[in-house]
Amino acid sequence: MPQTTIYSAPPRSPLVPIPAVATREVARLFGRSAALAGVSLEVERGRMVALLGPNGAGKTTLLRILATSLRPTFGSAHVDGIDVAERPELVRPRVAYLSHATGLYDELTAAENLRFAATMLGRPNPAEAAARALAEVGLEADAARRVRAFSAGMRRRLALGRLLLAAPSLVLLDEPHAALDAEGTALVDRLLEGWRAGGTTVLVATHQADRITRLADGWARLDAGVVVELGGAGVSVPTAVPAPIAEPVTAAAER
Amino acid sequence: MNGMAALRADLGIAWAIARKDALSELRGRQAAGSTIFFAALVLLLFGFALGPDTRRLAEAAPGLLWLAIVFGGLLTVARLHQLETEDGALEELARYPVERRAIYLGKAIAGLGAMLVLGGLLLPVVAILYGIDLLAAAPALLLTLVLGAIGFAAVGTFYAGVTVRLRAREVMLPLLMLPVIAPLLLAAVKATAAALGGDPLGELASWLQLLAGYDLVMLLAGAAGYGFLLEE
Repeated sequence: MPQTTIYSAPPRSPLVPIPAVATREVARLFGRSAALAGVSLEVERGRMVALLGPNGAGKTTLLRILATSLRPTFGSAHVDGIDVAERPELVRPRVAYLSHATGLYDELTAAENLRFAATMLGRPNPAEAAARALAEVGLEADAARRVRAFSAGMRRRLALGRLLLAAPSLVLLDEPHAALDAEGTALVDRLLEGWRAGGTTVLVATHQADRITRLADGWARLDAGVVVELGGAGVSVPTAVPAPIAEPVTAAAER
Repeated sequence: MNGMAALRADLGIAWAIARKDALSELRGRQAAGSTIFFAALVLLLFGFALGPDTRRLAEAAPGLLWLAIVFGGLLTVARLHQLETEDGALEELARYPVERRAIYLGKAIAGLGAMLVLGGLLLPVVAILYGIDLLAAAPALLLTLVLGAIGFAAVGTFYAGVTVRLRAREVMLPLLMLPVIAPLLLAAVKATAAALGGDPLGELASWLQLLAGYDLVMLLAGAAGYGFLLEE
């Protein structure tokens, strides 16, 4: 009989809480090259975990998969127990993602950008939510300026402000300190502390290992698309990563 | 969420997207201005090419008006999606927890607004260059323009979504879109000609009905298919 399921779901006791993030052998190919080559990872709820590793290790790809921006080529990824590829519409309200790109509109002012985001996120009073977020990231004085005139650091701050408009259970940050001055770096640290105090799970991809590992509960080091090292609390390789129940190439050939 | 509440939520999201696009378009004036100039130049050049024969000019006017609208419209719908490629905005837009059809509708409303402005500015140009009495045919002409613009925006938004991630998007957009809007152009040109000629054969209503039906089908198909385009 043809075997279509390569990996089975791991058995889980109802007494064990569902992890905030669970990936099973998640892989992502771009053409013939693998950005992720089978990452199995679990992150407990309310933990802050650093993703470390050199350029090209797969950190950004993993975050983009969890943020529903990319689909895994193989394997599965779950946020709060929901499959990101199967039900992205249920994952999106739970996740806030700061990517390398800011996703801002140059011709809109800072306030208009955040009001638009607040509307898209379903905030009942977008103008008020935007004003609060601008104050939080120290851009009140620049609220009426168009983003086109902003420096890279100011754009980054504004993108951080957009994260504050959402009420996510999982925050994904890709190099959050990039392009920021000392004041901006302190802002990121303050936001990280705030999320942790509020019980939000945070996954931070960074090169600044020293700074983040001081704040984070645990860390995972990726290299060439796989997890090579884990440390601290809140992050683990699932104990029951199932072995393939059929050799993939054979399974495909049988089909 | 019940049907009415879902519809209200979708319309709120669509309006926010359309408003955002309109603001970006108005503030980036150079692009909008060059589109209008280009479309008006098409009309001017054809006017010169056809010569001073007023009857010939009046006969050609409906087709040339829609040709200029199509040229300008292609640039407009492409640019409205181009806005989203700046600094990862499209990926951010796709991540918002909203219905994909609401995003499509917002983009289509922005496209419709731009098309109506373009058409509204080109009508007087046609009247002056081709010696047409606009006032006599104004209601029928405006209705034709609105129905034509809705169909163009519905199809253009979808295909701009198809091509936005392609390197050769400027070439691919007209290649993909023009065959699909052929029925729309035929109906719009015929309806415009009927409106300008006083509708002696009583065919205006049939062409307008065809336009309305086309608009409805394209809007529904676009709203259903656009979500797939936003996925990676």
